[in-house]
Amino acid sequence: MGRKLKPRKTGVSYAKWGYIFILPFFITYFIFTLTPQIMTIYNSFFENYRNGLKQIGPNFVGLRNYVALFTPDKSGTIGMLKYFGNTLILWVMGAVPQVVIALLLAVFFTSYRLNIKGQQFFKTVIYMPNLIMAAAFSMLFFTLFSTVGPVNQILLAHGIVEKSVNFLGLKISVRILISLMNFLMWFGNTTILLMAGIQGIDQNMFEAAEIDGANSLQVFFRVTLPLLAPILVYTVITAMIGGLQMFDVPQVLTNGKGTPDRASMTMVMYLNNYLGTSKNYGMAGAISVVLFIVSAGLSMFVYNSLSKQYRK
Amino acid sequence: MKKLIAMLLALVMVFALCACGQQAAPAPAAEAPAAEAPAAEAPAAEAPAAEAPAAEGKVFNIYAWNEEFKGFFEKYYTVPEGVTVNWIITPSDNNAYQDKLDTTLLNQATAPDDEKVDLFLAEADYIQKYADSDFTQDITALGVNDFSNAYKYTVQAASDENGVVKGVSFQCCPSALIYRRSIAKDVLGTDDPAEVQAKLDSWEKFEAVAADAKAKGYYMTASFAETYRPFSNNCTSAWVDENNNLQFDDQILAWIAQTEKFCENEYTLADSGIWDQPKNDQMFADGKTMCFFGPAWYFNFCMGNAQDPEKGCSGDWAICEGPAAHFWGGTWLMAPAGTDNPTLLADIMNTFINDADVCEKLVVNEAQFSNNQAVNAKFADDPSFGSEFLGGQNPVAVFSAMTDNIKWENHTIYDQACNEGLQNALQQYFQGLVDKDTALNNFYLSINEKYPDVVTP
Repeated sequence: MGRKLKPRKTGVSYAKWGYIFILPFFITYFIFTLTPQIMTIYNSFFENYRNGLKQIGPNFVGLRNYVALFTPDKSGTIGMLKYFGNTLILWVMGAVPQVVIALLLAVFFTSYRLNIKGQQFFKTVIYMPNLIMAAAFSMLFFTLFSTVGPVNQILLAHGIVEKSVNFLGLKISVRILISLMNFLMWFGNTTILLMAGIQGIDQNMFEAAEIDGANSLQVFFRVTLPLLAPILVYTVITAMIGGLQMFDVPQVLTNGKGTPDRASMTMVMYLNNYLGTSKNYGMAGAISVVLFIVSAGLSMFVYNSLSKQYRK
Repeated sequence: MKKLIAMLLALVMVFALCACGQQAAPAPAAEAPAAEAPAAEAPAAEAPAAEAPAAEGKVFNIYAWNEEFKGFFEKYYTVPEGVTVNWIITPSDNNAYQDKLDTTLLNQATAPDDEKVDLFLAEADYIQKYADSDFTQDITALGVNDFSNAYKYTVQAASDENGVVKGVSFQCCPSALIYRRSIAKDVLGTDDPAEVQAKLDSWEKFEAVAADAKAKGYYMTASFAETYRPFSNNCTSAWVDENNNLQFDDQILAWIAQTEKFCENEYTLADSGIWDQPKNDQMFADGKTMCFFGPAWYFNFCMGNAQDPEKGCSGDWAICEGPAAHFWGGTWLMAPAGTDNPTLLADIMNTFINDADVCEKLVVNEAQFSNNQAVNAKFADDPSFGSEFLGGQNPVAVFSAMTDNIKWENHTIYDQACNEGLQNALQQYFQGLVDKDTALNNFYLSINEKYPDVVTP
């Protein structure tokens, strides 16, 4: 090709095309994410709700909504902290087994020694639960575990229990059910992410380790895990942000009530309570801002602590 | 060349975005001709239809939460030619119906005529919210002014604090004690409504019979909330006083005390709410529950299990007034301010309360207890009129006798939140999952979230 030989003008920069290509993202981000975010913060400083059909506000009240959020109620509990605690417990109960099992499965599936047959099939199956809508999944569990549901019928029929168990009325069983659902829905997704991460590691590393006489445990802890750190950090942070925003599963399972005794009420469910009848944008805004700060803080903490080795 | 391709790609992307934005804009324009189409035909058809004056709108929007009234409306009301009726039906779950309705009402003043709400339905628990607001209008000014045949409480319910009437109900909903004849025979020795009533006409007697029923292996009721309405309808004070303080009426406290006893002694099912499956299962022939409470719409449309041809027990039921007169539910037709079809609206309202022919059809064909005393009286006195489900008993006669004792007093815009919130929170206490203070505290929290103005104890 003769053209290539022609001398080129040196001043042409293609960098601007890059900017043009990423422009649509930034426009949409600005309109649909950043603006609402700023509006939320702005709204959180106002008294703005409906009393029946009467609109109250918006009146500027400074930090009053935040003060109200952290004021203990008559029983001495601070609602915000209680719901944050609930969210955290529900997340940990679901996310820890999720990451551990996903990691195990990912290692098994990528191991050339095990060489598992029918990987595609297993991958599809473990990913399946994620395809079901969370609300439908939750509804299914609600029906299964109701006092007249099939689980109770089986337990009664086999004489395991004498009286039907109120699974949806006990703190521990409700929490286990919610965590179990979140686990089932997300461990397939995590497995696939981690598998991609492991496959990205140079196979020579594993072989070298084995030639040096490392056993499988040593290979896992000394080779796989450190090299997987970036992906693992990413997985944990996204799982955490998702966990803090946990809403659909407990909302549908407990019909928005967080039964029993609001022990399964998450922060976003609490936020949703304010957006119901009262359309209380002030309080809801304040909760969102707190949620935002908490997510940002936690993400930074996890990022720093988990990726320390990797950055060295 | 490369530059050209890059330019093209960039343009495609930008236009793709613009296209997203623009699509929304032409849509209303495309819709408009469709909406106008019936209007355009109207002038030709208008001459014979005298009922729709030319000045009024051609689109009539009705907001409802289920299909019940739509069925009656389509069967028994003839819409004037040239008018299109739009049904905007939103289920009440999670307050969705009121949310949608409120948004529309708040925008009513600025909405185009064809999008204005022209009639909406409201239920007893939240009717006050609309009747007491400026979003509804005086229907006597529209030409609905004959309430001589309507039951008094149905008119009071749709009136604001100054007595201005803003809606009507097409049904009257006195709620009866619905009992299983076979179980009553076993427990009380009789299934005759008058004799059963004599044995259950006070709460003391009701509770004593509950113990007898338990001794014979029966439940008195099948839900912890079953007796809530008979108590709450007879409150002598409102849920929220004039200083915005939440307060408990003696009747509510009496309900709590009775339910504590009923749940502890297993006279009822603490695990079952009023609409839950454990209660509904009790309606089958092999059910063990003697008493249910409900109006005509309840036993005709919500006791499907009892009417089941194989597992049910139709005919094994009867009704009597029970320990306390009360009503439950009911659907009101409300007149929104700013409707562009006032004449048609008034005509619909008049038809469903004063047109004897339509009201009779509601009683005979639809198993309703109509809101027309003259029509009901006719069926109450008719010995041949009876319900198969109730073993031939004439429900209209029983309900007619009950209507005088129904009270509409002390209602506020907070009723729905309080009635539902209290039952939801206390259920966990009745089940023994939390203590009473915790349950009440959770009730206050739910009220504060819904109504920041209300001061809770």
